[in-house]
Amino acid sequence: MTTLLPRHDPWLERYGTCLALLTLVAFFALTAPNFASPGNLLNVLRQVSFLAILAVGFTLALIVAELDLSFANICSFAAVAMGALLYGGWPIALGLAVPVAIGLGFGLANGIAVTRFKIPSLIATLATGTIANGAAFLLTGGVAFVGRLPDAVLALGRGAIAGVPVLVVWMIAVAALAQFVVRRTRLGAHMLATGEAEDAARLAGIDVARIKLLGLALSGGLAGLTAVLLVGALSTAAPTMAYDFLMRAIAAVLLGMTTIEPGRPNVPGTLVGVLMIGSLTNGLVLMGAPYFVQDIVLGVIILGAVGLAASRLKRAAFGLHK
Amino acid sequence: MTETITRRTALTTTAAATLVAAGAGPARAQGAFKLGVVAFQMSAETHARVANTIDAEAKKKGWQVTLLNSRGSQPEHVAQIDNLVQAGVNGMILCMARVGEAEAQLAAAKAKGIPVITVMANTSPHTLFDISVDDFAAGAQITNYLLARMNYEGGLLAQRYEANVSTRARGKVFDAILSENTGVKVVGQHVMARPQGWQEDVRQGMDALTLRHQGQFKAVWTAFDGQAFIIDDILQGRGAKKGDVLVTGVDGGQETFKRIRDARSTVTATVAIPFEPMGVRAVDLMDKIVVQKQPKGRHVAGARVLVPTVLVDETNAPAEGAWPW
Repeated sequence: MTTLLPRHDPWLERYGTCLALLTLVAFFALTAPNFASPGNLLNVLRQVSFLAILAVGFTLALIVAELDLSFANICSFAAVAMGALLYGGWPIALGLAVPVAIGLGFGLANGIAVTRFKIPSLIATLATGTIANGAAFLLTGGVAFVGRLPDAVLALGRGAIAGVPVLVVWMIAVAALAQFVVRRTRLGAHMLATGEAEDAARLAGIDVARIKLLGLALSGGLAGLTAVLLVGALSTAAPTMAYDFLMRAIAAVLLGMTTIEPGRPNVPGTLVGVLMIGSLTNGLVLMGAPYFVQDIVLGVIILGAVGLAASRLKRAAFGLHK
Repeated sequence: MTETITRRTALTTTAAATLVAAGAGPARAQGAFKLGVVAFQMSAETHARVANTIDAEAKKKGWQVTLLNSRGSQPEHVAQIDNLVQAGVNGMILCMARVGEAEAQLAAAKAKGIPVITVMANTSPHTLFDISVDDFAAGAQITNYLLARMNYEGGLLAQRYEANVSTRARGKVFDAILSENTGVKVVGQHVMARPQGWQEDVRQGMDALTLRHQGQFKAVWTAFDGQAFIIDDILQGRGAKKGDVLVTGVDGGQETFKRIRDARSTVTATVAIPFEPMGVRAVDLMDKIVVQKQPKGRHVAGARVLVPTVLVDETNAPAEGAWPW
């Protein structure tokens, strides 16, 4: 088989996608006015923060070889629950806690459906996502909560710390914590073992069901956290507000599986995927490209990513490892 | 597997870069007015009609246009406004914008001296003005028309859509007018749940309702024309023709006018919203106020430009390709 790059070059195999990201950034820095300005780079980081947190959650589920297709709808439902509480005059603390609890609750439900009732995660999370979507419409009647929220809530999404948008801080904190847990803790080792070789992990005494439940619960929990940040940033809560993140987050994770730890879901790789999507979106606008070109380019990226990481996805979706 | 991964990554990146270069198009004219246009959801015909008109009109003036589609996503919508601010456009026109959600971005645009005009949105202290129709008036026009055609008696079906501010306003006026005309009864109604897959939602809901209430309704009130088309197809499939059931909508487009002219169709009337003229007017006012620097007060009083709608039925349905304005 012919290859465009030298065979057996482990560095290129591992960092090829990172190199592609750097090439993309350099391309936009040279061709798109204002792309490389500090203000715009911070702007890109701020814009991708929601996607990054959701994608990290999806990564954690995929690390334990389970697929979570419910996170976007869970996020939307958690957001409108938060909106209902805050616009209804309930205490802010409750308004912030409930969406995270909803995310965790749905994540746990996903985990129970998969581990106890042996429903493939593809089907279980599609079902719970549909339930979350219905619940969001039940709560709102389809009408978004709109209006100015208390400053304390807005600060969660619109504030800045030492000039760095708070959303960027959230994104870095979530990614760093997730990477620490996965790579530096016993729990993370169990997650990796469960995802890589479930039977071997079970034989080694790992409570595989509990680890899978945890992976899906974390994905749900991060969807709940994203809901809080979305509502804080946009000062609104609508029943489909996170819908658009589903495909992009999956694309980011699949792109991430081509780098750092090729073939495996990994948090740094996911961030690379997220940054690639964010840079493309921003750079194309700065270049003046019309919207349909953005969609086509993103589609090509998704197609490529799915092609690259399809085998892992199949395992997670259909439980082929079992 | 990993060596082919690198190969495929390189191929994908090359393909994407080619598309990026293609998307940027020919070299932009230096010094031309740069206009950013954001449509909230281009898959909605009405959003696309406004945005495409603005795009075409601005290009006629030799302006550089960046046309964006938020795909109905609020986070995407505000990110695109952010990106246009970063791109340093000279002006922005936002179609069906969510100005409440984009408050911070619109404030940033204002701070950078980027004037923003919205079409069919809300007003904001950070924008110049909004060009809109009065959806309450449009709802009143079509409802009063329909009730008169029913001689203020009999049953009707209602197809609503509550998640959109315009269609919700039409529905509220519908309720208010019905409360004063008690001879007309709503025998059944279906509420469209969401924008995604709405056609199937309407088809299933109204298929069931029209069967269940067969013979009990003389008319079907819909919140927008797209719903009316689906219901018309259902009724035609059951053998109904013009006059058997009165189906009305709001929006007005070539397909609506064609159905109003068509003797087989049950679509009877619509309130035509001048989407294209609103787009033309947005570009014209951007030109006069921002490019030519004429005083805003000479053209616009206050924060809203209200554009009149036109009720269209078989007496004034325009010929193919023509418009009622």
